[in-house]
Amino acid sequence: MRYPWLGCLFLGSLLFAGTQDFYNVNTRYTVESVVVSGNGWTADTSSAGADKLSSSLRKQISALIGGALNPAALDRIAGRLRQELDATTVTRHVVRGATPACVKVVFQVEDKGARFDLAVPKFLYNSKQGGSGALEGGAKVNHNSLTVGLVSDGDELAERYAGLTARYENTRLGSDSVHFQFEFDDFHEQWNRATLDQMAPGPTGAPETATAVYRTRQNFEPALTIVIAEPITLTVGASFERFQNEYAGARMEAADAATASLRFHEQFDASDYAQNVEAVYSLRAATPTLGSDFGYTRHRWGFRYRMNHGKHVVTDDVSAGVLTGTAPLYDRFVLGNSSTLRGWNKFDLDPLGGNRMVHNSVDYRYGCFEAFYDAGAIWDSGVEPATIRYGVGAGLRQGSFSLAVAFPVRRGRADPILMMGMNY
Amino acid sequence: MAGLALPLFRARAANPLSIVYEGDDLRPVVQNLHFLTGKPLERLQDAEKVVFASWLSLYTIDQSVPFRQAFGRYVVSYDIWEQKFMVAIPSQAARPRDNMTSLDAEKWCLENLAISASGLAPDRPFFLRLELRTEQRRELSSVLDDPGISLVKAAAELFSRKPRPDEPHWGPFESGRLRLSELVRMPGRGTHG
Repeated sequence: MRYPWLGCLFLGSLLFAGTQDFYNVNTRYTVESVVVSGNGWTADTSSAGADKLSSSLRKQISALIGGALNPAALDRIAGRLRQELDATTVTRHVVRGATPACVKVVFQVEDKGARFDLAVPKFLYNSKQGGSGALEGGAKVNHNSLTVGLVSDGDELAERYAGLTARYENTRLGSDSVHFQFEFDDFHEQWNRATLDQMAPGPTGAPETATAVYRTRQNFEPALTIVIAEPITLTVGASFERFQNEYAGARMEAADAATASLRFHEQFDASDYAQNVEAVYSLRAATPTLGSDFGYTRHRWGFRYRMNHGKHVVTDDVSAGVLTGTAPLYDRFVLGNSSTLRGWNKFDLDPLGGNRMVHNSVDYRYGCFEAFYDAGAIWDSGVEPATIRYGVGAGLRQGSFSLAVAFPVRRGRADPILMMGMNY
Repeated sequence: MAGLALPLFRARAANPLSIVYEGDDLRPVVQNLHFLTGKPLERLQDAEKVVFASWLSLYTIDQSVPFRQAFGRYVVSYDIWEQKFMVAIPSQAARPRDNMTSLDAEKWCLENLAISASGLAPDRPFFLRLELRTEQRRELSSVLDDPGISLVKAAAELFSRKPRPDEPHWGPFESGRLRLSELVRMPGRGTHG
């Protein structure tokens, strides 16, 4: 025996290579069934309650059944359950199964009950468009949550809106498949000089499809979300917007609309790859029959694909929109902000927004490094032709924090835009 | 402080640690020490394994300078079908011992506790101190995968911090002041730390 250490190494590797826990006598038993149990609900991998769990987690749980008891795998699943269900604790119990030498695994999920959160849903500095930020405080009691926030956003729309938001949500309206939400917003608007100049009467003035600028805006928006069949959800609701024109003494105007959106979201986990697919169609239809001063219809399509492989993350985000009729400025499409046509300034592209939009964004990340390439066009149908523009950039992203520099792809001088912040 | 002192006093008063001298080893004997109870037993009955760590110290002059220390760990699991205990000692090549009652399992763990008395002069006064704790789940990976020096380091870290209020622990138990020359030496079973 010249190389006894090789034998030891081999035996040691056999001992630790497998998933079986050498020190736990119960690892010789076979898992017969797995049950996840919470406050008033119970789910196994096939029951109706299983829709609380993502498909990848259900697969992970199903993989336990028929195999030897693996305590480390149970701990991993308990951790994922805690994360997915936002639970305080997940305890696992192993009891004797119905047949000899088999065991049953029970995960007991304890809800958080009441809790309070403070969050920063958006914080951004854009070297061309200034800063934007939002701060939210929320209280959650069982399935009910109330969130109140302050926001000042000069990034998302043609206007800078600042003010108060409040949102009530019930994530279990009689059934786990029905969610209810009511949102109230109260904003004051600020306008960029380019937008105000565009609104001025004259040959280059605002298109007929755009309304005047306004100084305040309130929104009341109830919505009901129904899980039609996992992973498809339908949201229907209404939006009652009230806004006052910039001119002193102007009357309040209303844009009351029916809203709907259909969403598909699925995650596919393989051993090496994780893929995430999300598709959404949303409709907003304002009509005088709802008491609206405006009549318009806004369609928006979005498709997002993300693939993770180790440190590599590739994302493709496609969106398109069509707006018919005369809509308030906040409902017109905008490109050239911190998430679309990065490198371009929205006030250079279309200070009033457009009624047609198409956009594609490809994003590649390796660890904390990020590079992106955007392409898109925004225009007013019948007023101007569509012109496709491109933007390219790179930066660093760690968690929700991001720092990026983006350039418009065009002839002439390079005019970079710096973007930094979190959750944008 | 009072909360800590009271169980300590009780441990010393109600569980005096006596010593058996076998070969070169000193083996502690603690009457009525039952650690397969309470929370550890609940975890075991949930098919988890529980690691018990022992820290045995031999003191000669004062308590701040131990003459020798020995660290041991016992991985206990409970067969939920047979309702019997299995104990494994990771540092020993011997097969885990299974099919034991709780009393048998406790006894077997204690029988495997020993510290070498080699180098200790027969007339030099000494005493033994024993502490027993369970290790937390997150400490298990280091416990089971890192033999050798890092294992002793992990043990020192474990016993250097105060046990948390919810963390089961037993002891410290201390023997009275003794000399090797006062003990009856029995045939040894082997050498230990």
